[in-house]
Amino acid sequence: MKKLWKKPTLLLASLGLTASMLAACSGGSNEEVGDADEFKGTITIWDGPRWPDEDDNKYHWLESKIAEYEAANEGIKIELVQVPWAEMGDKLGVSIAGQAWPDIAPVDISGSSVSIDHIEQGVVEPLDAYLTKEEKADFYENALDAYSYDGKLYGIPNSITLHTMLLNLDLFEERGVTPPANGKWTYAEFLKTAKDLTFDRDGDGKTDVYGFSTYILPGYYEAWPFFYKNGGSPLNEDLTGFTFDDPKVVQAIQDLADLKLKEDAAPETLGGSDVGGTFQAWANEEQRTVAMQPWATWAIGAAQGKYPTNFMVAEYPTGDAGEAVTIGGVGGWLMFNQGDNANKKAAVADFMKFISSTDEQFTMAQHYGIFPARISSSEMDPFKENPEMTRAMEMSDQVVMLPRHPEWKKIDEAIQTQLQLVFNGEKTAEQAMADAKKAVDELLK
Amino acid sequence: MTQVKLDPVQEVNMNENRLQGTKNAKKSHKKPNTVWRDMKKNYSAYLFLLPKLILFVLFVAFPVVWAIVLSFQKYRFNGSIFIGLDNYIAVFNSEAFSIALKNTLLFTVVTVPFSVISALVISVMIFGLGKISQSFFRSAFYLPSVTSMVIIAMVWRWMYNYDFGLFNYFLSWFGVEPINWLGQSATALWALIIMSCLIPFGTGIIMYLASMGSISQSLYEAARIDGANSLKQFFHITIPLLKPTTLYLVLLSTIGSFQVFTQIIMMTGGGPGSSTETLVHLIYKTGFRDFEYGLASAQAVVLFVIILIFSIIQFRVLRHDE
Repeated sequence: MKKLWKKPTLLLASLGLTASMLAACSGGSNEEVGDADEFKGTITIWDGPRWPDEDDNKYHWLESKIAEYEAANEGIKIELVQVPWAEMGDKLGVSIAGQAWPDIAPVDISGSSVSIDHIEQGVVEPLDAYLTKEEKADFYENALDAYSYDGKLYGIPNSITLHTMLLNLDLFEERGVTPPANGKWTYAEFLKTAKDLTFDRDGDGKTDVYGFSTYILPGYYEAWPFFYKNGGSPLNEDLTGFTFDDPKVVQAIQDLADLKLKEDAAPETLGGSDVGGTFQAWANEEQRTVAMQPWATWAIGAAQGKYPTNFMVAEYPTGDAGEAVTIGGVGGWLMFNQGDNANKKAAVADFMKFISSTDEQFTMAQHYGIFPARISSSEMDPFKENPEMTRAMEMSDQVVMLPRHPEWKKIDEAIQTQLQLVFNGEKTAEQAMADAKKAVDELLK
Repeated sequence: MTQVKLDPVQEVNMNENRLQGTKNAKKSHKKPNTVWRDMKKNYSAYLFLLPKLILFVLFVAFPVVWAIVLSFQKYRFNGSIFIGLDNYIAVFNSEAFSIALKNTLLFTVVTVPFSVISALVISVMIFGLGKISQSFFRSAFYLPSVTSMVIIAMVWRWMYNYDFGLFNYFLSWFGVEPINWLGQSATALWALIIMSCLIPFGTGIIMYLASMGSISQSLYEAARIDGANSLKQFFHITIPLLKPTTLYLVLLSTIGSFQVFTQIIMMTGGGPGSSTETLVHLIYKTGFRDFEYGLASAQAVVLFVIILIFSIIQFRVLRHDE
């Protein structure tokens, strides 16, 4: 299992991948490194909305950094293109298709709108020449790993996220149910809690509140840590075979689906595709029809801000493997192909480093519900006044990353569409994973 | 056949015309570049057409030709590779494509007749009304045509909501258990079909009303004198004379149905499973999610051919012969 928060000493000692990365970094690269000071012109950056200021401007952080950078670098203009996160993938996809990409964009290359195939085709610029060995050593291993391919670094990580269980404590109190101590529990305890939290509030014979719910959709992994509880993973170690049809994984999938199908502890919409509706059912004060849901760490910020909720952060329940597991993700900045303009490349890299500094990652962690990708930012303790984020950060050693296969998006869809049918009750987990295996094995050929 | 008898003046005119035609033919034989001469003669008309023509070439003709070229390539940014018919072979061997085709065909086969027939029925009902009422209903039924499908899809998604949607609320009046309309394979595609059927075909209604207005009342008067009742008048006068409009509307709605996309991406994303996957949604995913532009182009070309075949068949079956 990969650990998200490995210290660089372990990294240096253990990974051959790192050795090749170090060989490629600064002195090791043959690439011509331009002079950022010589570049005069416009750099285009895309970004999505982040946290709001008093005027509800969710781009204020980057706008202020741009103003600061432009003041310090005469002749350079940074153009910010505001792109809603929901449109970022599609818009990048179209821009790549038309070879009209921005200079910089926030992209998770591990499974998003930019693929390994793009790296191989030169759409994304390698950045090894612009980061020193010392600068790289300040990033967590898995953060660098997520942006590395074939021994080269293709982005500057700026955040790490993971998934946690969020428990509505008001509903626990209403039902007299005790939350798990320290947020740790077994699946049997979770199941009992979910059943205890399912109840008919107004006595009309219909269930008003359910213990648990989540959704199943390609590209979303809130439910997946449940599937890892007995051990197992979607693909084998060398990414040549589908392994989610392992009986212990099949059992884990069926267990979660049975929360709705057999135990009546989850609503009919469990395993549906309505992301917003699922969140509203947990967080919206007018609904609160679900007591427990798994979410990525951004939801902690939402539950502390826009949807004030009395909640706690818990781990995913453990299964036969005995260890809690969660799925992690890494965000960061990519530099898109700049052609032969070495000076512009250097200037773009310089700006990327400017907005990924220790202080900036600290600021982002404090306000945006993500964990810094820099060790130095974490050491500044951005969550000392935020116990929920601190608790989530403690779960970082439970993180597993998704397989980094060039066809992952198709593999993911083949699995998730079958999972939807399990949660609908249209297939058993065994049938669904057998069908997924046929499709995935074709993709792995 | 009866011979048309001409008066002497007409005969003289015709002879002159024939003579002029022969002279022109001789002239054109001497100067074969008639297209260029015609363009010079009517240059102002061509100038007016030019902006539209440029836009057409840039945004329609060129992308279509480029898509056909792409369909024979494995597209790469650093140099595409010609792979012959591999993309087409992949399309025809793809289970995802056959599922999407099946779903799209079902969607089309149900929604097109329903939309066209309902437009006709609504038009007949409106046509008999007074001017003000007719204008009101015409506007009301045309409203969905000028509303974004994204908005309509969002409203319908809410109407299909399992917990508090309108449909399940109505069902609860009759003691029927709520249905997970968009969340089950058995109902998801039908939910989308029902939605498409219930959205009035505004363009169809407007066109039928216009066509009905142009049918000569003398035909109905003659039929009434011959003892034809309203139903007979409708089936033997209205329907046959609306045939060209019907053909146009069937073609229009068939093409639209084959290209169904917004409802899918907004309401189901093609799921659950692949139960609502349609051709254009599959093309979109192949192109902009998987970045397989060559394969997506091949899928698009196949869709184009399918629509073309359907259009030819419909044209032959429904065309207004002499």
